[in-house]
Amino acid sequence: MASSSSESAVSERRGIPGAQFVEDVQTYLTQSGLDVGSALAFLQERLQQYKVVEMKLLAQQRDLQAKIPDIEKCLDVVATLKAKKGTGEELIADFEVSEGIYSRARIEETNSVCLWLGANVMLEYSLEEATGLLQKNLDNARASLEVLIADLQFLRDQVTITQVTIARVYNWDVHQRRVQQAVATTAQD
Amino acid sequence: MATSAGSWKGLERMSVEQLKAVKEQGDLEVNLLQESLSNIRTATTRLEIASSALNDLSLRPQGNQILVPLTASLYVPATLHDSQHVLVDVGTGYFIQKTMPQGKHYCDRKINLLKSNFDQLLEVASKKKNVADEAGVILQAKLKQLESSS
Repeated sequence: MASSSSESAVSERRGIPGAQFVEDVQTYLTQSGLDVGSALAFLQERLQQYKVVEMKLLAQQRDLQAKIPDIEKCLDVVATLKAKKGTGEELIADFEVSEGIYSRARIEETNSVCLWLGANVMLEYSLEEATGLLQKNLDNARASLEVLIADLQFLRDQVTITQVTIARVYNWDVHQRRVQQAVATTAQD
Repeated sequence: MATSAGSWKGLERMSVEQLKAVKEQGDLEVNLLQESLSNIRTATTRLEIASSALNDLSLRPQGNQILVPLTASLYVPATLHDSQHVLVDVGTGYFIQKTMPQGKHYCDRKINLLKSNFDQLLEVASKKKNVADEAGVILQAKLKQLESSS
């Protein structure tokens, strides 16, 4: 009971500071050199920071979750074009001219595709190069998503720990006041 | 003007609580109408873009080489298979094949319909806004009156 917080907690993860689990509030306040009001204010501020980071991570997660199916679709299309390559068979495709308007195009045997890379840049790749690039992008996106999910899990744990700490500090303060009140009452009697 | 004067008299008879309710209701309705107007404006812009795209497509001869978007980020070189017909998405998963002039006519009809709806909504929104503003003015006057009397 001597230590104020558990030492096994992770100090930080990818720039997200770890939250201390307070075992003994009295020791925690003494060690940090804060009064109850300041400690609660600090913890609330930390909680707000966690919430902001969580919002950012959730936005990144949404972007990645939208990106992965698009890359998979691109890979499927390239695979289809590869499969049709030697057959001499042409592909008829309905493509979107504008929102709600579609036209029909004939795709003859093609050895290359154009990939939109963003920032007004489009590059032409051979089917093999395109497959390689898209596969690499897909692997990177999946890896990023895994890391992001782990970060979010870590962040939620820190939020929970911080909320529990706030509750414990507040309850400890209430308890102390009651004790002081009881002492004052007995002294008067 | 007569209706405006009538509504003004009606509002003046109301209590402070009723006026507050009228103003809140009016503001809420105006906000909803503004949102609808914004949606109509967006839809009109989309249809105008579609109409100009059809116009551009009709000028291209059949067999013309183009880059076709197979996904949002993947394009392949292809030739225009049929420059005389287009598929039009009419909603709820239905697509209708139309000739270029029919497609343009469809877009123009939709644009005209949306514009007439826009004008009607704009009129309603301005009326609602006037009522809400009137309620606000009378409410302020009544509150001042109550303050001075107390």
